[in-house]
Amino acid sequence: MPIIFDKVYYRYPSSTKYALNNIDLEIREGEVIAILGDNGAGKTTLIKHLNGLLKPTKGEVIVDGVGTRDAKVSDLAKKVALVFQYPEKMFFSESVYDEVGFALKNFGFNKDVIPHIIEKTLKTFWLWGYRDRSPYTLSGGEQRRLALASILAWDPKYIALDEPTAGQDAIQREILIQIINRKINEGKTVILVSHDVEFVAEFSIRTVLMKKGRIIFDGESDELFRRHDLLGDAGLTQPALYQIGRELGLDNFKGRIDIESIVNYIRGLVECGEQRRS
Amino acid sequence: MRGAAEVLRYRYLDTILSRLDPRIKIVISIAYSIPTIIFGGFIQLLVIYIPILLNLALGKVLSKYFKTILYLTPFMILITILNYLTMGNIVSALTPVIRIVILIAALDIFFLTTDPDNFILTLESFKLPLSISLSFALALRFIPSMVQQINEIVEAQLSRGLQLDKGNIFTRIRNYIPIIVPLVILSIKRSIEVAESLEIRGVHPKARRTHYIELKIKRSDLIYLIGNLLIVIVISMIIMNTPFLNKYLPEINF
Repeated sequence: MPIIFDKVYYRYPSSTKYALNNIDLEIREGEVIAILGDNGAGKTTLIKHLNGLLKPTKGEVIVDGVGTRDAKVSDLAKKVALVFQYPEKMFFSESVYDEVGFALKNFGFNKDVIPHIIEKTLKTFWLWGYRDRSPYTLSGGEQRRLALASILAWDPKYIALDEPTAGQDAIQREILIQIINRKINEGKTVILVSHDVEFVAEFSIRTVLMKKGRIIFDGESDELFRRHDLLGDAGLTQPALYQIGRELGLDNFKGRIDIESIVNYIRGLVECGEQRRS
Repeated sequence: MRGAAEVLRYRYLDTILSRLDPRIKIVISIAYSIPTIIFGGFIQLLVIYIPILLNLALGKVLSKYFKTILYLTPFMILITILNYLTMGNIVSALTPVIRIVILIAALDIFFLTTDPDNFILTLESFKLPLSISLSFALALRFIPSMVQQINEIVEAQLSRGLQLDKGNIFTRIRNYIPIIVPLVILSIKRSIEVAESLEIRGVHPKARRTHYIELKIKRSDLIYLIGNLLIVIVISMIIMNTPFLNKYLPEINF
C-alpha cells in the first residue's frame, strides 16, 4: 500500500508560518524516492509525519491504509523506520547487542526470536565482533552503522533516512550506499532525505525537490540534476558530474550522466582528434 | 518533560520588563522576595503575591509562570502532604508551598524577562568574579540546546517503539531511562566542547575584559524601580499594622 500525503499543511506551535504547505505526494510500495531541499525546506518535517511524530495541521497522511492522525507512534513506527540525522545520539544501552535489542523488545518480539534477529542484524552490518562493547566506544562510522542496525532490525516495510551521509567519510558513505541498495533489492520502500546532491546522484530514482515547505519538482533525478536553474533556486548545486556534463555540452545527452558516460565522451573526443591529426 | 524544558526557554517579547535594565529587575525580584520570606501568614503571602503577578503580566510571562508552577504541582502536593502529616493543619501545611510559589514568581520577574546574554553583564556589574558569572550564564544558556536535545532524543526513541505512558508508575519512571542516559552523555560532551571553545577564544578568569554592550540605567528604569519599592514598603506596612492580616492566621516558619 502506498504512503499518501493529501493536501498536507503543517505549522509548528511556536510559528506563524506553515513548515509544510499543500503537500500532495504519493510514495508507492517498493519505490525508492529522494527528497531534496536546502535547510528549512521542510524535508525533516515531512518525514516526521510518516510515523505520527507530527500530525498534519490540515490534510491527511495515510500510511499503509492507516491515517496517522489517530494512530499511535509506536504502531506506525513498527511499519516505518525513521532514521534521524546523527542517530547515534540515541544510544543508551550498555552494549551494542542490547542497543539492537531495545526496539525488538518494545515491539513485542518473541523472546526466543530476539537473539537470532540481533545476531543476524549485527552480522549484516559488520558489527558482530563489537557486540559486547559500549556503543560510545565505537568510531563515528561504526556508530552510524549501529544506529541503522538498531532501527532496521525489526525489518520495517518503509525506511526513511534523514541526511544519512552527514558527518561520514568516503568509506562509510560507500558502506551506506551498499546497505541502502540491499534494502532496495529486498523490495523495501526507501525514502532518502538529503541536501547532499552527490549522494542522491548515486541512485537513479524519483526525486522530489522542496523549497520553503512546498514541492517544486517531482520527477526523475536525472531530469532534475540537469536543471541547474531549478536546483539553484532551491539553494542547491548540480552534482559535479552534471556540471562537467554541462560544460562539455552534454545537455542533450539522453540517460544518466555518470563517470562512465563522461569518460566515454572525452575518450571519443580524444580519438576523434587523433584521427584528424593522422 | 519536553513541555517543562520548553517553558524555561527564553523568548524575547517587546514589553516594559524586557526593556528594563536587568540590574533593576534583579533588585525588584529581591525586594519582593524579602517580605515573602519574612512574613509567614497565609493571607500575608497572598497580599504580596498580587503586585508580583501584575509585574509578570506586564512582562507578558504570566502564562509561562503558571505553566512552570503546573509542572511543579506534583512536588508541591508531596510537600503539602508531608507538612500536613507533621503539622496536622491544612493552612500550616499549605503556607510553605505558597511561599515557594510566590518566591518563584518574584524571581521570574528577572529570569523570564531577561535575555541570558545579559545575565553575565548583570552579574559582572555586581562585581562577581568572571568564573562565577560565566558559569551561571552558561548554565542558563544551556537550556535552549538541552530542550532541542530532549526533543531529538524523545523523537528518536519513540521511533524505536518506546512508549513513555505505558505501565504503572514505576514502569513509567523506568521508561525515561532511554531519554535521560543519552541526554546526560550528550550534555557532558557539550560542556567539554563549550569549555574548549572558551579556552580557544581566550576566556580567562583573570583577564581584563571589555564589553561590546554596556548596561546603562535609564530614568524610566529608576521610576519603575521606585514604584515597585514603594509598593513593597506600603504592603509591608499594611501587613504589619493590620491585626487581621498579622494575627488572624497562624505564622509558619520553615
